[in-house]
Amino acid sequence: MDPWLSVSIRLVALLSSAWAAVALTVQVLWTRGSGRRDYSRPAGSPWRAVWYSFTTGMMPARKESARLHAAEFALGLVLHVGVLTCLLGLGLLVASPTTGIRVLAVLRIPAAVALLAGICLLLRRAISPVLRRLSTPDDYLAILATCGLLACCAFLPVDSRGQLVRLVYFTALLVYLPLGKLRHAVFFFVSRGNYARRLGYRGVYPPARAATE
Amino acid sequence: MPADDKTPADIATAAREALVRVVRGAAAYHLNACVRCGLCGESCHIYRADPTPENLPAAKAAKVASHYRRYCTLVGRYLPRLVGARDFTSAALEELVEAVYGRCTGCGRCGLHCSIGLDVAAIIRAGRHVLASIGMVPDGLQRTVSNQLETGNQMAIPRDELLSTAEWLSEDLKLERGDEAARVYVDQPGQRILYLVNPREVKFFPLSLMAAAGVFHAAGERWTMSSKFYDVTNYGFYSGDDDAARELTRRVMEEARALGVQEVILSECGHGFRSFRWEGPNWLGQEYPLPVRSVLELLEEYLAAGRIKVDPAKNSARVTLHDPCNLVRWGGVSEPQRRVLHQVVQDFVEMTPNRQDNFCCGGGGGMLSMSEYGDRRVASGATKAEQIRATGASIVATPCHNCADQLLELSKRYKLGVEIQAVVELVYSALL
Ligand code: SF4
Ligand code: SF4
Repeated sequence: MDPWLSVSIRLVALLSSAWAAVALTVQVLWTRGSGRRDYSRPAGSPWRAVWYSFTTGMMPARKESARLHAAEFALGLVLHVGVLTCLLGLGLLVASPTTGIRVLAVLRIPAAVALLAGICLLLRRAISPVLRRLSTPDDYLAILATCGLLACCAFLPVDSRGQLVRLVYFTALLVYLPLGKLRHAVFFFVSRGNYARRLGYRGVYPPARAATE
Repeated sequence: MPADDKTPADIATAAREALVRVVRGAAAYHLNACVRCGLCGESCHIYRADPTPENLPAAKAAKVASHYRRYCTLVGRYLPRLVGARDFTSAALEELVEAVYGRCTGCGRCGLHCSIGLDVAAIIRAGRHVLASIGMVPDGLQRTVSNQLETGNQMAIPRDELLSTAEWLSEDLKLERGDEAARVYVDQPGQRILYLVNPREVKFFPLSLMAAAGVFHAAGERWTMSSKFYDVTNYGFYSGDDDAARELTRRVMEEARALGVQEVILSECGHGFRSFRWEGPNWLGQEYPLPVRSVLELLEEYLAAGRIKVDPAKNSARVTLHDPCNLVRWGGVSEPQRRVLHQVVQDFVEMTPNRQDNFCCGGGGGMLSMSEYGDRRVASGATKAEQIRATGASIVATPCHNCADQLLELSKRYKLGVEIQAVVELVYSALL
């Protein structure tokens, strides 16, 4: 790729990363407001609950939605792991093109597998009458956007044009990230953590015993 | 319904202001997190009974989220259709009433199993708060809140009626225990505990109050009720009216101070426990000066300290335990009642699932006060009914009088043939 173009597009990608980071931080701070101090007397440990919630509490044995919908759970897992690794690969491409290209070459097959999972989830959303009723256009946009990212990583050649398209796509995705549904990438942690802390404070989490004993 | 002198624009403005006020620091986290994967359906007793799209937890949360997006997000403001953002129109508000009051008890089970792990019930509560702030609480529920504010108790029981009930219960208790000191104490200053009860105990289930009085007597407890503020329930919590909830809490804590007690003990009531123990200090914006506990914790303490002696053979029938959502999933009290039951009944059997994972009986969230949703309420108890049937128990111990009402109805509708008893009643029956 032309060195000037390479630097420019990487700079724009950096700017869009900064936009995403700032916009998401502002959103988290806004949703937090001035915070809510809990004046009740604690009965448990919030941090132990957070640990539980992000570890054992995510396992199918403890999470009914995962247990009863094993296929969707697995597809979701594959999609999210795929997207995360591709985003890291693209981040590397911005930071250090030579390393990034090598990493992205390795990620082709995982990206294709994740893309397949994404397509399955997209079809599920489009076919299920319940999900269709629940979905907004943004739900389709979000999954299409992530599938697009995975497709870029799976199928574009590792030449300079391929790199350029990948970086342009990466940039656009980062611009969209804080605006629509994809912001759950951050709010997943904020929301789950907040809920778990509250349950921990009250001594609900971690559970004393498995609920089926 | 909203006050007639308000224009739709005034109502929308008031609703928007209430929404922005209530979501920050709480529901907003969760409103941004739902991915509408639709995997939460089976975790909700209402959806299980009637799997229509409207009953999906995420669909109920989405009603609140549509307004959140409209007023609190950039894209919702400028491209509302892209994110399903909606204004607070009259039609949208009516739909919101149906979703947050009519299709959800706020039991929280869906949140525990949500693929993201977000608190759907917090979103629903935010929706209720918005509707309460514009006067759109369903009539039956609002009447209960008004009763509490105007008369001091949700059933508007006159003071004389409480006193005469306390009197005849005391007479019976004296005969049963053979001791003058065995009585229902009312308005006695300087006692150790102030005991709050569900007014249903005064009106419909006096044996429950008598059992508590009998156990307190056996334990040598110094206790009293207040004839002014003895109601453990807090329907402001259910309706979403935080001002009412705060006032009801304030009165009781003020009364506890005036009577000079050292502790407030809450009788068996799920949302009453949650309201007084967990939400109350936050409504008041300050720590309580004295401890507030469930009577279940006190019963366990009596047994552990040997202050009461029991014989489980006196309760020989098979007993199972219902876990009220607000006491267990939201309140963290799951083990004291089990440790107590293991000592006072001979044949105790768990429902599956149980503890924090229990299914709501369908009577929570103020459902019992909203007759318009009565059929749905009873239908939504089907999962609980099947859980009970599978245990083969003939008694369901239920540490909540709201749940007790619903379970009595479920027993009739689903022909379960079970008796519903408070834990304290089983303790009383087992006393030596
Ligand atoms: S499981 Fe959670 S994230 Fe998925 S639709 Fe239900 S509430 Fe939303
Ligand atoms: S809080 Fe309970 S009633 Fe409400 S949607 Fe969730 S599971 Fe259903």
